[in-house]
Amino acid sequence: MDTFDYRRPASVREALRLVAGHPDAAFVAGGTDLVTLLRDRVRTPGRLVDINGLPLDGLRWSRDGVRIGALCRNAVDDPRLAAAYPVLVRALRSGASPQIRNRATFGGNLLQGVRCPYFRLPEFACNRRDPGAGCAAAGGDGRLLGIFGTSAACVAVHPSDCAVALVALDATVVVEGTRGTRRIPVGDLHRLPGDTPHEEHALRPGELVVAVEVPARPFAARSTYVKFRERASYAFALASAAVAVHSEHGVVRDARICLGGVAPKPWRAHAAERALRGERLDAATVEAAAEAATAGARPRPDNAYKVELVRGVVRRALTELGEK
Amino acid sequence: MAIGRPLNRVEAREKVTGAARYTADARLPGMVYAALVGSAVSAGRVRAIDTTRAEAAPGVLAVLTHLNRPQWHGTPDALRYQETRFPLADEHIHHHGQYLAMVVAGTREQAAHAADLVAVDYETRPAVPTLDAALPDAHQPVWRFEPEFPTLLAIGDPEAMLAAADVRIEREYRTPYYSHAPMEPHATLAHWAGGSLTVYTTSQHVHGDRPVIAGALGVPPDRVRVISSLVGGAFGNKTAVWGPTLLAAVAARQVGRPVQLVVTRKQVFTCHGHQPPILQRLRVGANRDGTLQAIVHHTVNGTPVLFDRPEGAISPTGTVYALRSVGVRVEVARMHMPTPATMRTPGDGPGMFAVGSALDELSYELGIDPVELRRRNHLAAHPLERKPWSGKQLLECYDEGARRFGWERRAPRPRMMRDGGDWVGFGMSSAQRLEHHGPARAVVEIRDDGTAEVRTSTQEIGTGNLTTLTQVAAGGTGIEPDRIGFRSGDTTLPESSPTYGSRTTGSTGTAVHLAALRARQVAARLAIADARSPLHGLPEERIGAAHGRLYDVDAPRRGETYRELLRRNGRRSIVEQGFHDLAGRDPRFSYATFGAHFTEVRIDDTLRRVRVTRHVGVFAVGRVLNPKTARNQAQGGIVYALGGALMEELTADPVTGRFIAPALTDYHVPVNADVGEIDVSFVEEPDYGAHPLGAKGLGEVVAVGVHASIANAVYHAIGIRVRDLPITPDKLVAGPR
Ligand SMILES: Cc1cc2nc3c(=O)[nH]c(=O)nc-3n(C[C@H](O)[C@H](O)[C@H](O)COP(=O)(O)OP(=O)(O)OC[C@H]3O[C@@H](n4cnc5c(N)ncnc54)[C@H](O)[C@@H]3O)c2cc1C
Ligand code: SF4
Repeated sequence: MDTFDYRRPASVREALRLVAGHPDAAFVAGGTDLVTLLRDRVRTPGRLVDINGLPLDGLRWSRDGVRIGALCRNAVDDPRLAAAYPVLVRALRSGASPQIRNRATFGGNLLQGVRCPYFRLPEFACNRRDPGAGCAAAGGDGRLLGIFGTSAACVAVHPSDCAVALVALDATVVVEGTRGTRRIPVGDLHRLPGDTPHEEHALRPGELVVAVEVPARPFAARSTYVKFRERASYAFALASAAVAVHSEHGVVRDARICLGGVAPKPWRAHAAERALRGERLDAATVEAAAEAATAGARPRPDNAYKVELVRGVVRRALTELGEK
Repeated sequence: MAIGRPLNRVEAREKVTGAARYTADARLPGMVYAALVGSAVSAGRVRAIDTTRAEAAPGVLAVLTHLNRPQWHGTPDALRYQETRFPLADEHIHHHGQYLAMVVAGTREQAAHAADLVAVDYETRPAVPTLDAALPDAHQPVWRFEPEFPTLLAIGDPEAMLAAADVRIEREYRTPYYSHAPMEPHATLAHWAGGSLTVYTTSQHVHGDRPVIAGALGVPPDRVRVISSLVGGAFGNKTAVWGPTLLAAVAARQVGRPVQLVVTRKQVFTCHGHQPPILQRLRVGANRDGTLQAIVHHTVNGTPVLFDRPEGAISPTGTVYALRSVGVRVEVARMHMPTPATMRTPGDGPGMFAVGSALDELSYELGIDPVELRRRNHLAAHPLERKPWSGKQLLECYDEGARRFGWERRAPRPRMMRDGGDWVGFGMSSAQRLEHHGPARAVVEIRDDGTAEVRTSTQEIGTGNLTTLTQVAAGGTGIEPDRIGFRSGDTTLPESSPTYGSRTTGSTGTAVHLAALRARQVAARLAIADARSPLHGLPEERIGAAHGRLYDVDAPRRGETYRELLRRNGRRSIVEQGFHDLAGRDPRFSYATFGAHFTEVRIDDTLRRVRVTRHVGVFAVGRVLNPKTARNQAQGGIVYALGGALMEELTADPVTGRFIAPALTDYHVPVNADVGEIDVSFVEEPDYGAHPLGAKGLGEVVAVGVHASIANAVYHAIGIRVRDLPITPDKLVAGPR
């Protein structure tokens, strides 16, 4: 681990000031991801700004939905949240372990680093870690890598469960910078790698996530999260699906299907959503949507099994919702 | 009677409350800390190594590399030292992570920081990264353990028998790199005083470590003391000395202060042992009635570039089933891999996966129930030693297991059992492990306050041995277990057998048993000779012992406590030795432990992941000293093998061979939710031929055969035969739906 300057501001303004003009500064929230990256020298910030002293936790409800503070922990246990947004609470519960969820925050979860093993081991070349260095995963073991939205420069997947649910819920992140407040749809937060995989997200230097806003949508309450992984718990998704459906008179009016574990960002399966609209949620529709969810998949031989997993998680999630 | 009671572990309270002291918890005044730098490349050479920035970093006391390390003495033997090369020997690099430098500093953080500042200029050579890439090099190993652990052997004429058999199958099975993944990392605290060295280290054999450490450092063994308190898991990777133990001692001498060296989690996964990948080719021939005619078993395992280290996966091939002919051949192939280490169930674990799977495949070819097929090939005598097995209740294990499991509900063919969206499958396998033993010494002391103490160098590696050995001492002395103290894990104590190879119960247990009996006998004689004793003048065989008291077995009220006896005679204590030697067992028999596994798996057809919902294990291990620790060991062994069957794999990069999952986050072991109902029972019959206590090893046989039992159940459920472990979801998506 390298040495760094450590600060613990008491206000958002002070936090922003501490990072302004310090391109090598990083915020640290729960630290469950960043500290391991520091330890392994994947990240080497010169300054660490600890935001745990900021008043950014808690939920605020309004008619438009809920605003979740960036420091709200992933262990959040709120019956109202569970009733209004089942997909979100299930996604959170499926992540990590109770200890980690007690520590991990919403902001940190959205901005956690990829789990590509080559990214996390500095002995390997990685474009995401060191721009232009090359991608060791390209010729390496690719079983965990992406099948959608990847590029020649990077094939990693985004590991967050929470983000997948938030995209399905049309959520927005609220960010503060020295130039003011911005709102970014969670679906636009993570960037596809293209030729610049090191540009991981849409935050400008020095911007701080202060909250996530989840709107009240007709499909939000009828939603679920299905995560498939190698063991029964405490593992990242091999593939997951956040699915929300709004029906009227037995016909689907609107739906969201977002995939996790298969792309560099939460992956909206638009074709699958289209396959649902105007249809009854019967077995044939479920099958059609599951198939449509794989549209555009570009697997390599060692991760081709994920295509079948995508069908599986979508089928399972829709079947579960169909039974409601 | 203390033996056979389900006592709680003697160290349970300390472990549960966090008071237990492990090696990394040891503290000495003035101690400083070391950290290691590992190689970033898998093969090549250190062209230059720049330590100036590290030396200038805060708190740094010393930086050692191959250029300035003190001279090593002697040559390592790859037996009690894990490798053939001492650490920092020279500039050559043979595997990724190989230790290239050590930094000593005032705090752990300073040492870790300075280690990052060591700059290495590498000359990189292409690595042989995978077993497949290494196969052209497959060769007969140079191996010193012939013929006890043979690498080439034939009984009868297997090729001719195969050709003549009614049915033949030929299959290839693979097991991956497995990590021991103990929770406790290797740790050493070394301290010199007046030319004598004390080493606190994580060890499964302190007396085995001592000569290695002394030899490498050029000091007489009696100037070295090795202490290993509680060990936080080992599974075989603490059986012998690793480089960091020696480096800590060297560092302590150099800086003149105690030095602690705890390796990082990544280093646990990279440089402290693993089981290498193994490829097994099996050809099995049988007649229509199921009688096995021949097995030809050929294995190739990866070996480090510097020496040959065969994995004995052929171990079960010729000794588990009645065969008319056998041919086995073990080869190794050099890879740029870190040094492997013996892993719990060496040989038998991977070997039984292959043999147990092949038998299952054969059962479908023949249309014979898998249990019945095994019965028809029951083996009464050890085929090489040509002696009958002692205490072989394997047929009873099959019966009991099948009954407890409900095997009769098994459908005869795969893909016939369905429960909602789940495929359900039943599988089974036999289990067997040859009973090893070794010399062991112990001392039992009975004191004038009515307590006793056992002293033997054994280590508590998590198996419950301090508890069972306390029970053995209680059984021998007649003193209650809670009045018996234990001193262990120290070379100043009498040498036990090592805590590997399932030797503790049989070998060390016998030594404790004999010491306890002797101590009691001395006390009894003292009483008989003492005119003031109520037992005065009785014949020795009439004296019993229980509840800390000697008594007349014909008139139990007549007697006195050890305390009264010793105090009256002015004796502070009675100290007696027990010695178990290799001549101790009945030479007319061969010895092993046996068992049967039965597994139910369920696989959701939409999202196919194997869930082990029920597992029944029945074992014949002689007498069970403590049903609680025994059940615990058996459950642990089954879960351990379940991990290897379904999820564990130390994935290596196909280009460099570097392990890419060197962390518990990515190296998946089962979590609680992965473990279904486990039913453990014993066909208990003391095996007095093996040891005077009638108890045999338990810690390994319980895990042998689990892989095959699970893989067989998977096939039965879903019709997919997975021959390369682990059975991860990616291997189940193809195939019929
Ligand atoms: C063993 C393990 C298993 C895991 N399993 C899962 C899983 O199954 N599913 C899953 O989704 N996740 C999983 N995780 C990841 C875990 O959810 C994240 O580590 C956690 O959510 C990160 O939150 P944190 O507050 O600790 O972030 P930190 O580690 O503090 O920060 C992470 C990143 O976010 C940045 N950051 C944090 N807060 C802000 C903010 N407010 N504004 C701007 N930038 C910010 C930091 O600078 C850093 O780059 C796992 C982690 C571990 C260690
Ligand atoms: S896939 Fe992406 S994260 Fe992984 S090594 Fe390549 S560039 Fe780095």
